[in-house]
Amino acid sequence: MSGVDCAQALIHLDDFLKRELTPELMAEVRLHLDRCRDCFEHARFEESFLTMLELRGTRETCPAKLRARILALLRAEAGEH
Amino acid sequence: MAEPAVPGRTFDDEALPHLDALYRVALRLTADASQAEDLVQDTMLKAYRSWKQYRPGTNAKGWLLTILRNTFINDYRRRKHEPIPMDLEAVESHIIDRSIQEADPEGTFFSQIVDARVVEAIDGLPHDFREVLVLSDIEGLRYAEIADMLHIPVGTVKSRLFRARRLLQQQLYSHAVEMGYIQPRESPT
Repeated sequence: MSGVDCAQALIHLDDFLKRELTPELMAEVRLHLDRCRDCFEHARFEESFLTMLELRGTRETCPAKLRARILALLRAEAGEH
Repeated sequence: MAEPAVPGRTFDDEALPHLDALYRVALRLTADASQAEDLVQDTMLKAYRSWKQYRPGTNAKGWLLTILRNTFINDYRRRKHEPIPMDLEAVESHIIDRSIQEADPEGTFFSQIVDARVVEAIDGLPHDFREVLVLSDIEGLRYAEIADMLHIPVGTVKSRLFRARRLLQQQLYSHAVEMGYIQPRESPT
């Protein structure tokens, strides 16, 4: 297996972190990150950014009043049919 | 109750678990809490009425978000003015995030920034970038689902995401420097 170099690893990094690569490429990028400290550090930084985004971005929830209003509307809608 | 499109699964079973996600995306798209509420309500009613068109086995969250997004484009978007876009050329290269990374290799400054400031920075992104970032990195949709929803190629989803992330990193980095969470790295002489 030829593997990926730093430039290729960088190109694939976002897709790697989002698990959007083929299993073969996932394995190759992972192998490169295991061996290259520079790329590993870069990946870790990007990963912490993505983790932070998901965590901070999903804290807001649907207000209880809105939820109740929607449920009532759906019940009314169901009653019409 | 709508006829189940999925055997044994009702509209409530499939749709209600995604109310939080719908509300969050509505907030990010409208940037207005009361419009977001109206948008979620309209979306749920439309979804309920077209429940029979829902294809079993597909992602209900993606289906609902598609309805929400189309409703937003058709009925809501013209109501508000888009902010003046940021200078997109400024986010072209890897150099920017490299320098941020070198100032704080583990990205610990992200954890010091309060939720409200992160959300504010997301809301400050240009619409096209904000949309893909929210759908992908916050709500966890796959690139292919987003491409379908927005009628754009997967490559465009990826390039918008790339720029959206760099822009956001820059914003949060500047904020962290301003607040003293991080020491700015001196430019090489």
